[in-house]
Amino acid sequence: MAKPKSKNLILASTTFERVVHWVLALSCLFLFLTGFGLMFHSLSFVARFFPGGYATMKLLHNIDGIIFGIAFLFALIAWGKDTLYFDEDDKKWFRVLGGYLWEVEKVPECGKFNAGQKTFFIVLFLFWFIMVGTGIFMWFPIFPPALTRWLYVLHVFGVLVLGTFLVIHFYLGTYGNPGTFQVMGHGYVTKAWAKLHRPKWLRDVEAGRRSI
Amino acid sequence: MTEKVMLVDVSKCTACRACQVACKQWNKLPAEKTQQHGTHQNPPDLSWATWNLIRFTEIPLKEGGVKWLFRRDACLHCTDPGCQRACPVPGCIVKTPEGAVVINSELCIGCKMCVNSCPFEIPRINPEDNKAYKCTFCWDRISHGLIPACAKACGPGAITFGDKDVMIARAYARAKALGGDATVYGDKYVKGTHVIYVLPEKVRMYERMVVNPSIPISLILWKDILKPLSVLAIGAALVGTFFHYVIKGPKRPEEGGE
Repeated sequence: MAKPKSKNLILASTTFERVVHWVLALSCLFLFLTGFGLMFHSLSFVARFFPGGYATMKLLHNIDGIIFGIAFLFALIAWGKDTLYFDEDDKKWFRVLGGYLWEVEKVPECGKFNAGQKTFFIVLFLFWFIMVGTGIFMWFPIFPPALTRWLYVLHVFGVLVLGTFLVIHFYLGTYGNPGTFQVMGHGYVTKAWAKLHRPKWLRDVEAGRRSI
Repeated sequence: MTEKVMLVDVSKCTACRACQVACKQWNKLPAEKTQQHGTHQNPPDLSWATWNLIRFTEIPLKEGGVKWLFRRDACLHCTDPGCQRACPVPGCIVKTPEGAVVINSELCIGCKMCVNSCPFEIPRINPEDNKAYKCTFCWDRISHGLIPACAKACGPGAITFGDKDVMIARAYARAKALGGDATVYGDKYVKGTHVIYVLPEKVRMYERMVVNPSIPISLILWKDILKPLSVLAIGAALVGTFFHYVIKGPKRPEEGGE
């Protein structure tokens, strides 16, 4: 998007970040759709969306798994350096859980991502490894049955964790935090938003210490 | 239609392998290229095209020589089949009123979940069409009042077929008559198998015979615990975020923004 004229707006994410986020989001949602279709007999109507039914749905689930798996590598490039560490302010953030659950006088200041977002990314990193790792060996079972059957357990455990995270992530990124969705949309947020959600980051950007 | 049981009395088996051949013939299964691996067991293992195999076990005797144990290996047709529990496609693995567990290979998508969930490691994949195959209990014969092809071909009467109660009673009578270590194998596992063995020796003496088989714990954890729990967790997250919005409300930036 062309730079808006309003001085109130500031670019919160690069084009690279936004594209990676959308590829991750769409491939993840499609994995959930096809995965649930395979997981629940009661959702057998999902298979009817695909010519070839279940066989096609399973193959697309597998192929989409590769897309998601590769997209996450780009996510690591995009957000790894801002998420894979915790500092003193993050510890304080955890003590009040960012002021999300009870009234807090002052929420500890954070940079580009708060401690909750960092945790989300680290858990996603862990389960990316679990889901892709188990998925590959479910698709191509080179291990004996006594081992392979445990991959299904891990895979469905990933569904539990990632499904729950996805719902909370969607809520916090949209109507739970008004103004946040445009970080993934056209990229521009208001400075008031940045002051509330990324105070240290805003100071750094305005002082020229970091670009985005 | 009453439940049926196939009784395999291995004490009567002479390892003629007529059952193996009859199975291939009735089910139109191709012969396989095999290899000599030091025993008369041929082919060495079950496969997508070998649903019925006589396993040869040689037990060296103290006084010299060997004792030969023969066992017909094939699907046991569980009352509670792990393969069916694991299969993601509705109607792909079905149980017939006679007790047969049948894979409808036309619906199979080659996910191999049945292969990895069977307590007896029975279903096998055909690498050419990537579909699972196994013994069908000759459901196409028994549903028309015939007995399975293997039972029909068995000369010494080691494989017999009939109503469940009658066959189980016959199995226990036979084991009692044999005495010693003789046991009945099958009626106590996975809510009762529809293939029941009379084994003259201890279970562990026979090749690939599973001692105390049961539905794998992983399968229970996967399908009965984590699967419903994931629905519960995702539902709780939906309800939780909704009420967070209602009770705590969204986190709005100060006025002056969009």
